[in-house]
Order: sequence, then C-alpha cells, then structure tokens
Amino acid sequence: MAGASLKRLMAEYKQLTLNPPEGIIAGPLDEDNFFEWEALIAGPEGTIFDGGVFPARLIFPTDYPLNPPKMKFTCDLFHPNIYPDGRVCISILHTPGDDPTGYESSSERWSPVQSVEKILLSVVSMLAEPNDESAANVDAAKCWREDKSRFLECAQRSVRKSLGIPDL
Amino acid sequence: MDSEEEMYDESEEEEVSDDDHNMVMEPEVSSTTATYDSQDETYPHEVLSPEMIVQHMIDCIKDVNTIVELPATITRILLNHFKWDKEKLIEKYYDGDQEKLFAEAHIISPSRRGQASGSSNQVSVSSTTRSTRSRAAATGRSADCEICFSTLPTTVMTGLECGHLFCEQCWSMYLTSKILHEGISETISCPAHVCGILVDDATVMRLVRDQRVRLKYQHLITNSFVECNRLLRWCPAADCGRAIRVNYVDSKPVTCTCGHRFCFSCAESWHDPVKCFWLKKWVKKCDDDSETSNWIAANTKECPKCQVTIEKDGGCNHMICRNQSCKADFCWVCLGPWEPHGSSWAALQRYLHYCNRYMNHMQSLKFEHKLYAKIKAKMEEMQKHNMSWIEVQFLKKAVDVLCQCRQTLMFTYVFAFYLKKNNQSIIFEDNQRDLEQATEQLSEYLERDITSDILIDIKQKVQDKFRYCDTRRSVLLAHVHEGYEKELWEYQGSL
Repeated sequence: MAGASLKRLMAEYKQLTLNPPEGIIAGPLDEDNFFEWEALIAGPEGTIFDGGVFPARLIFPTDYPLNPPKMKFTCDLFHPNIYPDGRVCISILHTPGDDPTGYESSSERWSPVQSVEKILLSVVSMLAEPNDESAANVDAAKCWREDKSRFLECAQRSVRKSLGIPDL
Repeated sequence: MDSEEEMYDESEEEEVSDDDHNMVMEPEVSSTTATYDSQDETYPHEVLSPEMIVQHMIDCIKDVNTIVELPATITRILLNHFKWDKEKLIEKYYDGDQEKLFAEAHIISPSRRGQASGSSNQVSVSSTTRSTRSRAAATGRSADCEICFSTLPTTVMTGLECGHLFCEQCWSMYLTSKILHEGISETISCPAHVCGILVDDATVMRLVRDQRVRLKYQHLITNSFVECNRLLRWCPAADCGRAIRVNYVDSKPVTCTCGHRFCFSCAESWHDPVKCFWLKKWVKKCDDDSETSNWIAANTKECPKCQVTIEKDGGCNHMICRNQSCKADFCWVCLGPWEPHGSSWAALQRYLHYCNRYMNHMQSLKFEHKLYAKIKAKMEEMQKHNMSWIEVQFLKKAVDVLCQCRQTLMFTYVFAFYLKKNNQSIIFEDNQRDLEQATEQLSEYLERDITSDILIDIKQKVQDKFRYCDTRRSVLLAHVHEGYEKELWEYQGSL
C-alpha cells in the first residue's frame, strides 16, 4: 500500500514543481519522508489576505490517495474555516464516509482523484471567500458576519505576522 | 419451518420436546393457553438461515427480472433504491420517466450503455469489460490512471458504464478500503470526481480478489438487504444471524429457530399484553429516568409536614426540616404513613411503583437460568428415588410456566402505567395481583420448598400451582385482548 502511495506522492511532487499553480509552493519537508509536506500559500490578490504568505503542514496517510491528508496552518490565521489550532476544515479534506447520510454531497468531498494541488487551490479560494455556514472558528465566523472592519483588522494582523512585520 | 412451528404450537410450548406427555397429563392447561400462544400460528412467518437470505435475495431479483428484463446487478441496485419493494419498482419503472429513475438510483440507463460503448444494445455482466476495451481501442494504447498517476496500457484499465477508467490495482485498493474501512457496500460510487454512478456487485467480485474482503462485501450486501426490506427482520438474539420473513408487517410474536421469541414489529422480546407504542415510550422513559429515580429513591425522602424533598447527608436520624416556614422534627426511618400530594412527587412515586415491579420481574427472569440448572439436578436426584423420567418432568414444565408468567407480568406493568382507571382497569389489576401472588408462590416453591424430602408433597403443590398460574395468565391476557377489541382501554399520557 505504502509503495503505491509513495509513487503517487512523488508524481504529484514532480508535477507541482514543473507546473506550480500561482501562489502555491509545496513539497516534502525531507525527501526521505514523502508523507509529510510543507506548503506556502500566498494570500489571494485583492482579498483581505492579500500579501500574506502562510505556511502549512500536510500529513498523508499510508493509504493515500484512498484517504485524504490532514492539513494544518503553522501560523496564526484568523478565519472562520480554520480551527484556532490551525487545522483546515473544508469539504475536500473529508471522506464521503464521514457523512453516513448520503452520497449526494460527496461530490465535493475527498475522492482518490483529488490531489494536493486541488486541495491547495480549494484552500486559496477558502481564504478569499470564507464560508460562515459551517464554522471551525466560531469567533472568526461571528466577526466575519457581524463586524467586517474588525475582521479586516485581524486578517491584516495575520498577514503582517506571516511576513514577520511587527504589529504597529 | 412452518410445519415444525405448527406442530409445536398445538402443544403450547415450542422449546420442550416432552410436551406430548404434558398434553396427556394436563389437557386443561393446554387448551386454555393454546388460544394465546397460537398467535404464532395465525401470524405466518419463516425463519431464514444466512444461506436462505441470500437465496431469497436472488429470488427477489429473478422475480423482478422476469418482468423488467435488466441485468441482475442493475436490478439489485434498483431494488435497493426502492427498499426491496418490488411493486413500487415495477410501478415506477413502467409509469414514470425511466431515465430519471436510473439517474436517481445512480446508474447509467441500459439504453445509453450501448451508445457509450459503441457496440449493440447487449447488456451482460461482461459488457463492462467489453465496452472498456472498445473505448480503449478507440483512444489508443495507454492512458493515465488518475489515482496512481501511472501511465498504463489500457488493457489493465477498467471502469463502470460512466466511462471513467482506472487501473485494476487502484480499483481493487479503492474497493477494499471502502468495504473494510468504511463498511459500505450499496453506496460505493465511481472514484471519479463528481461521479455518483454506483459500483455493481459483479464489478466488485471481478476486481476484488481477497477472499476476506469479498466475504465482508457479501455480508454487507445481505445486511442491507434485510435491513431495508420491511418484510424481513434480523433475529435480535446475540450471534443468531438468522432472519424472519413475514408476508405482512404486524406486531405479532415470531419465533426463531434459536428459540428467541420476539415482536416482529419492534424486535423487543414478545411483550403481550402491552402494545409496541407504549412499550417503546416506557423503555425510553426508563432510560431517561432510571438513574435519577434510583438516586432519588435511595437518597431522599420528603418532609412529612411540608413535602419538601430532603436528602439525608449525615448519620443522625433526627431530622429537622430546613424549610423555614415548616421546621418539622421527624424521624428519618419511621416517617409514618403520609399521603403524597405534590403532583410531581406523586407522579414520580407512581412511576417508581411500576418501574420497581417491572425491574423486579426482569431481574428475576435473568436468574431463572440458574433455576433451570438447580431443577435439573433435583430431577436427577428424584429419579434416583424411584420416580420415573416422565414423573419428574413436571418440574421443568413448572419453571417454563414461571418464566412465561414473569415475562407477562413484566409487561403488564408497562400496560398498567399508561392505563386510565375505569372498571375494566380494576378487573385487570385484580387479575394482575392474583397472577403475581400465585407466581411468587410458585417461585418460592421452586426456590425453597424443593429441598424438602417429601417428594410426593412437592409434586402435588408445584403441579397445582403452575397449572393455576398458567390458567390465570391466559385469563389475564384474554381480558386485555378483549379490551383491545372492544376498545375498553383508555390511556393517560399523549398517544
């Protein structure tokens, strides 16, 4: 099992290095361990996170791609769909099995044909458009919904912090 | 099975093989109880072994296929979609929009299959492979598998009718993971993004080679067949694995080959005289309340003067009520006779009254297997004292009756709890009290007096008592059923 996973991860790494999508860099932390990756995601242009560069960690299961990796930002990021500890909560990272009620919604969930690239692109669009319907960080969701100016302030702080610029 | 059932029902007991002797010895007992235990007979049911369940599933598919003429694997998915309701499937198939029906069931319509594969309208199990090959021939010699990202010759790639191809190895790993780790069978879909087309069982069997996984898959399919089908129900006894099949759903008792007797409608142990609805309500109430009520019963009492609930948290029995307007002095042990009137307290008292009795009988029932062992030893002992095998069978029969009475009594408390008081309910309570007294006496004879040495005495006593209990149980049940028919019962609490 791990052999097939390794082969696929190497293929994905190659593809990401040859044709990197805009604003995304990703690869294994250490070429001896392909099951742990680091990714750098640039805040999408023209959005509240514009200018920031956010590091994240991806941990792959040994049966990847049958099951999705776990993704966690290693920086502070105030966002409705990111848990306070940095874990990312988006549907593509959930297996259809997580929701025993049906396969209707499984279309946007994990399936073996998804990839690291697709996950990271989903995360970029999540940064641009927070979804406050299913909040991982309730405070952030509330703030996003009710107090946009404060949310903007928090987001800007995350951006500056990610670039190593001290608070004003 | 049916014939076996009838044979036993006439002799009133399913589990004992020596009934014939009892029949001869105690005609009056058998004739009275026959009316109630023969409910099994009036409610025809069939016990299906695991193999028979599979056969039944195959038969259902065949039945439908003689009409709709689709490949068996497609029919199975369709039937599953309609919860194995054949009539509904056929009605929808011929009356409605077939394309829509196939889309809803997440399968590619057989009429479109031919076009997709470019071949004729032939639809057989192997058509999947054939269509893949023909498509592959059209597109070239190799393709990328989107799961392992390898470029492979198309001969090792395969897929469902939706046309998404993956290599056989990835398919096998994908299916194995779904079956073993997620435990799903009916709802495995094509791994392609936003493709909901369901995997049929022929494909699973073709692509999964591991015997363990195949077995698990078959198991999952059978389970979903039984659970979806309203005319089938698993026997709830531990590790039984058989299912009961009926022709129509009703809250009637069914008996499995393993000996477990339960209500087909709700799967609880057969709970005559109370109805499923009230029993369900009761079980839920017990789950909700029992911890609280146990604690309240064990640790609190109410002040004999002001009714405030008091928790005793120290050793001294001299209580002084803390309620400033009351300050009653009283002894914790001998509160004396007080009439409860705080309504919620009275309601709780009432509930506890029924609950305690229900629990008591349930508890006693659990101990009866010990009694069977004890009685068996006694029977062997008696046979050493010049009594024949037939002569000592009354003891086993007595324990059987005792168990039946306890079971019935247990559920009479659920029935009574929801019953509104009227003349009939008073008669019912008299019957109940009488049966309870007699049952407790019988229990005492079997527990204690059995050790006495005068065997003839015991036999007389026990035999009289269990016959009496049996008769009274029938009378009680007959009365309740008469009440159901004539609508004599009024209930308290919302329906």
